[in-house]
Amino acid sequence: MAPSPQTIGEFSVLPISIPPVPSFPRNVVHYLYVRRNAPKIPTANDSRSLFLANVPVDSTELHLRALFASLVGAGRFESASFEDERKEAEAVAAALDAAPAQAVRLLASHGKKRKREDQEAAERAEEEAAARLPSTWTRPLRKSGSTAVVLLADEKSVQQVLKAIARVHKSKKYPTWGGEGNVVAERVPQLGSIWLKAHNQLSYPDRDQLQAAVDAFSTMFARREKEAAEIAKRLRNEPDEDGFVTVTRGGRTAPATRNEAEEAKKKMIDKAEKKKQEMTDFYRFQMRERKKLEQEELVKRFEEDRVKLDAMRQKRGKFVPEA
Amino acid sequence: MEPGSAKRRKIGHSRGESAVGNIDAAASSGLSRGRAFILEAEELVDQVKLDYATALQGVDSLLHKIKGSIEAIEAHDALQIADAATKLEKKHKIQIPFPEPRPSRESNYKVAFAKPCQFNVVGSYVSKTMIRAQKSHAVDMVVVIPGETLQEKDYLDLRYFYKRAYFLAVVAAALQKDLADDGELSYEYLNGNPLCPVLSLKPKVRGETKEGRLDYRVRIIPCAPDNFFPKSKLHLGATLVRKAGDDDESKVATKPTPFYNSTVVSESCFFPYLKLLRQTEKKCAAFNKACILGRVWLQQRGLGSDMADGGFGHFEWTVLLALLLQSGDNTRGHAPLSTSLSATQLFKAMVQFLAVTNLSEKPCVLGTATVETETAGPVLWDAARGLNVAFKMSNWSAGKLHQHAKWTRSLLNDSTADQFTPTFILRADLPWQNYDLIAHLKYDAKQDKTEPVDCRGRLWEYSDKAYRVLRRALQDEELGERARSIHLQLPKSSSWELAKKPSTRQNHTIEIGVLFNAANMTRAVDRGPAAGPSTEEKEECAKFQRFWGEKSELRRFEGDSIRETLIWSSTSAFDLCEEIMRYILKLHLGVGYLEDELTFYGDGFTELIPIKTTDTSVFNAARKAFSSFEKDMRNLDDMPLHVRQIAPICPELRHASVKVPFSTVAKSGPRPLECVISFEASGKWPESIVAIQRTKIAFLRIMGDLLERSKPGEVRSYVGLESSTTTNTELENLAYLDIVYESGPAFRLRIHSDLEEALLTRQSHDKTIDQHHRHQASVLLSNFRRLYYHLPLHTQSINTFATRFPALSPTIRLLKHWFSSHKLSSHFTPEFIELVALHVFLCPYPWDKPSSPSVGLLRALLFLSRWDWRSEPLIVDTNGDMPSSERSAISTRLEAWRKIDPLMNHTVLFVATAQESSGVAYTTVNGVAQPSKVVAARMTALAKTACRVIREEGVELDARRLFVPSTREYDVLLHLSPKALKGVARVYPSEDLLTKSSSGSGSSKYKNLSTTAGQDPLPLPAAPVDTLFERLEAIYGSGSAAPLVFFRGGGGGGGGGEDDKVVGAIWNPTITLSRRSFKVNLGTSYKPVVVVGAGKKRKGGDGDEDGEENEKEEQLVEVNREAILSEIARIGGDILEKVEVQMG
Repeated sequence: MAPSPQTIGEFSVLPISIPPVPSFPRNVVHYLYVRRNAPKIPTANDSRSLFLANVPVDSTELHLRALFASLVGAGRFESASFEDERKEAEAVAAALDAAPAQAVRLLASHGKKRKREDQEAAERAEEEAAARLPSTWTRPLRKSGSTAVVLLADEKSVQQVLKAIARVHKSKKYPTWGGEGNVVAERVPQLGSIWLKAHNQLSYPDRDQLQAAVDAFSTMFARREKEAAEIAKRLRNEPDEDGFVTVTRGGRTAPATRNEAEEAKKKMIDKAEKKKQEMTDFYRFQMRERKKLEQEELVKRFEEDRVKLDAMRQKRGKFVPEA
Repeated sequence: MEPGSAKRRKIGHSRGESAVGNIDAAASSGLSRGRAFILEAEELVDQVKLDYATALQGVDSLLHKIKGSIEAIEAHDALQIADAATKLEKKHKIQIPFPEPRPSRESNYKVAFAKPCQFNVVGSYVSKTMIRAQKSHAVDMVVVIPGETLQEKDYLDLRYFYKRAYFLAVVAAALQKDLADDGELSYEYLNGNPLCPVLSLKPKVRGETKEGRLDYRVRIIPCAPDNFFPKSKLHLGATLVRKAGDDDESKVATKPTPFYNSTVVSESCFFPYLKLLRQTEKKCAAFNKACILGRVWLQQRGLGSDMADGGFGHFEWTVLLALLLQSGDNTRGHAPLSTSLSATQLFKAMVQFLAVTNLSEKPCVLGTATVETETAGPVLWDAARGLNVAFKMSNWSAGKLHQHAKWTRSLLNDSTADQFTPTFILRADLPWQNYDLIAHLKYDAKQDKTEPVDCRGRLWEYSDKAYRVLRRALQDEELGERARSIHLQLPKSSSWELAKKPSTRQNHTIEIGVLFNAANMTRAVDRGPAAGPSTEEKEECAKFQRFWGEKSELRRFEGDSIRETLIWSSTSAFDLCEEIMRYILKLHLGVGYLEDELTFYGDGFTELIPIKTTDTSVFNAARKAFSSFEKDMRNLDDMPLHVRQIAPICPELRHASVKVPFSTVAKSGPRPLECVISFEASGKWPESIVAIQRTKIAFLRIMGDLLERSKPGEVRSYVGLESSTTTNTELENLAYLDIVYESGPAFRLRIHSDLEEALLTRQSHDKTIDQHHRHQASVLLSNFRRLYYHLPLHTQSINTFATRFPALSPTIRLLKHWFSSHKLSSHFTPEFIELVALHVFLCPYPWDKPSSPSVGLLRALLFLSRWDWRSEPLIVDTNGDMPSSERSAISTRLEAWRKIDPLMNHTVLFVATAQESSGVAYTTVNGVAQPSKVVAARMTALAKTACRVIREEGVELDARRLFVPSTREYDVLLHLSPKALKGVARVYPSEDLLTKSSSGSGSSKYKNLSTTAGQDPLPLPAAPVDTLFERLEAIYGSGSAAPLVFFRGGGGGGGGGEDDKVVGAIWNPTITLSRRSFKVNLGTSYKPVVVVGAGKKRKGGDGDEDGEENEKEEQLVEVNREAILSEIARIGGDILEKVEVQMG
């Protein structure tokens, strides 16, 4: 195998040797791309975290812990957060949060950000966790080529890791995925048939557990809906900076039910149709115009056919009887 | 104005001339409809036309040379036939092609030779109606035998034909001498008629030939002078061949020899017909074009002038058309067809004429004459020339012609279908696409002791007898017609060398094709005539018994009727037909004692799945189980909302799954049949999608509890969580309810809430939210519509059609099996495959709808191979009344899609039905085209290959060959472990799978202590393999973004077939072949590429001066294939037995 470059762009390339599996008995090298974490919105922990790209799909925190242990020794690794987990959590939170979407949008359009105190946020998180449905997988998989952020003990460890990666290239001794002798595999839920069987089992969660999640959600939803209604009510009465009052749902009169609205619409369409029918071919000019239109239509279709024929002619063999 | 003309038409044509009246209607209606058809037909005529100068290069000089050579032959006086023959044969070393029976040695006929009185070139060379695609091209030269060498009474006892053969041999001898360098001479029969040998000259190709020169031949045809024989004696009922040595006139003389008589008449009709055709050509400008169209139409249906091809070819077509353009006496001076009609109108009129006249049932007379109707066989009497134009036809070929004309007529009346391609382009004579059953009947002339009556040969007479027997057995109207048509294909005669006698092969194979009437063929009991006391009834019964032999027995039926009855033991349509044919042919023809005398083909397909006759009842049982489940649901008290509808949505409940329902229960956990439930409209649903989904879970739980309580012990219910494949889990349906009946059936319910749709619609149109979320909402919306609207409707319509077309259900299952065998089924929705099969039934042109699964499958494959999905939508008109405006709207939609997305990343196949006109509901899943373009192209390629095999193999096609997958094309093969899969299929609620324990789990150590004993396994959320690969696709992406495209059969996509143990995979070339610059989130595993040159440089210097250049090159990465495979192997774990990388 050709020697791999040490860096690519601002990333250090970390080759990992993947032990052979019975069904695919080859030694494979996977490439992890590592750099210092520098997100667009900086956080407090940036200086002691590393950004990894192209993590293997079966990565777990334990896998990464073992990997960093083999590079810089145990005790440096604190935690890892994976991209898809982060994204999923965000999406779910957004979806759950978006429940009273009306209110959020109203506030947003009003130029006010909903202030969230820390305590409230924590409360919400707790609520959301309770409302979440149980997962159906014992072990999540990462999307191929996705990223992760690893939090290390201190800034020095970051330095050491990057140095260790450079050393790896020199010594050609790549760290093994899952630790030496694949110790990690013993400690994470197994993939394969057991994993699928567990999925089958987890797809049918305990009813009470499920009910609890649903109930938690309902309470949360009901409360937020109430909040939203209140906000809307308040907005109805409050003019904004420019002196405008926002028009919101839920005024004095209750809105018509969907059925009634549909019926009314149907009636209107029927009426329009009837009127239209009565008025066609009433005057002679209407008839003449109709005939003219029909004729034009005929000519148009003829032209279309001709175009189609030309297209067919382009494709050879369309006009040759099959042998 | 319009009603007036309709009235006139009605009065103008009395009932007797219905055929003629319809022609007018067909022709006049041609003006307004099918504009495209007219244009296309014109184009076809232009395309198939021959350039005579290059195609038949040198033919004129050759004809002159032949003429000169024949004129130079010395005349000689009458000699005894035997002497003259011996002399000629000895001198020139050639044989005289005497017809059978050859003249006896002692017969004292005299033959002479004189210079022919007339030469002429006739046929399509003169009228320039030859076409490029003809099977063989011949220029016909007629040589008239001078009247002085013939006698008027020569029409008797083959005498004319002996003289004709002698004349021909003399000509052959002369030409052999003079034209040895110009070409090869051989004898052949004119149109396979054993009475009329002709001389054929195949010119040698000399030197350079221009491109487009055809391999033609010149036929030299001797004939009698015009009106030489008295017509009055040559009528169809006359007996003109008396057997030599058989003077017992009373016996033989009563049998007429219509074929012989007509041949004699036709011998002196070459010039009258030439004249007729030339006249018509002059009168009617479009005549020749109409003839060319007719020629193409006939040829694509395997009909031709040759007796083996049915005896109705181009010549007969032109004559019939010319006669229809002529005014006759019984048409009151009006010609049935006007000469001012266009070519397509004439063609349509001809098809109409042939569709309403069955020549073999009622003689068709053109002109004024009476024809003896006693003659058996098709009659198309040309009164002016006193010839039965259809004399070479047989009853079965007349039936075939009639049937094809009827089919083409119904196509030409269907303004919505593509009329042109099925009419002229498609080959409609392949046995497997035509007949449900094909049998080979071995004929051995040595065994045949019957004395031939007419001169068509014993094989023909034998076949005719077989046809009559089969027709009576299978097409008896009283019993209920079992077969729609029976066709016999006889071997063709070939040419032979001058020095040899015509081949006297004794063994022939007759090919019998039977087209089933699907409704009647499965009938196991035939009810014959009632056994009553009256003499009439007794006679009927006796006749019945005579025909059916000992098989007929008396039985009493309900209503106290006693009838002659036939009881057959087989059950399936094919077996029944085989049983009847074997029995009846044995009884009347004495064949079938030896096993190989009668071979049957056509049931190979049904064995593959296998399809049994009991399958329908199993499907019906599933339906019944569903309705009882529905009743249970409706009867639940205390339901929060009233049930409006419970609709099935799975293939098992629409007669469309490869495996019959309930067949897999024993081996795995129950696989529930999917349904959707909808409730009365309610304002209680929360106005938020997320909240609706949660409410549904609570609802499902309540339903489950209620059902369990109402049927204690009989029902178990489980609320299951969907394993989502899209990212935003909270907006989708979250859960379903599985209901397992103790008695076996299991159902899966999902709740339909209409508010969800309204919210999704609002969201997908909401301009205030970002593009990504809008797109997501529209994907969810289309999923929603598919699940809750399209699938229930689709299930309903497939069910209806499965009842209407008995062969539909097995066709669908075979087609699904085909997709599955070629590892395509995971890329196609089952609904798509079902619609393709249905399309073949709704739009069967140029045939009628299939009546057996094998024909259905082959035609579906034919359709797939020809479907140009890049530019054509597949429109399945499930209601039967789709207006053309909607059709064009659908086409426009497709065009629009192609304009937006010319690379076909989002929309590939476009399938619209009456209920679903968007065209993508069945070919898009989760917003991704299913199949992708690559896979669709592979489907077409595979179908093309299959069709080629079908064409090449002919009758002896081994059905299994079409289903053999090829694994060579795949880059990677994943071998699944059957053992591991079996283990995954059964999971128990209390099984301990979550805590980590090494390989040997405690429960498996002692079987009897196992915690799972006595428990019922959990239902399967989905087939385990499906789950695994869905996961893999979720990780690596699907559609055009995936680095690895998996191909697998069985599983969910195809609708529950046998699970495929080998999964193929191909590296997506657009992703894996290119190197790209590195960035975060490339979507798959990449490895850095080392550019070789750069590496060397670095070794040398490690200097900074090259650094920048190197860096640019080093930024490139490529897909790390091995790492991906290793990941897959790790995920698959013990389920993957082997990951095999294929080279090349």
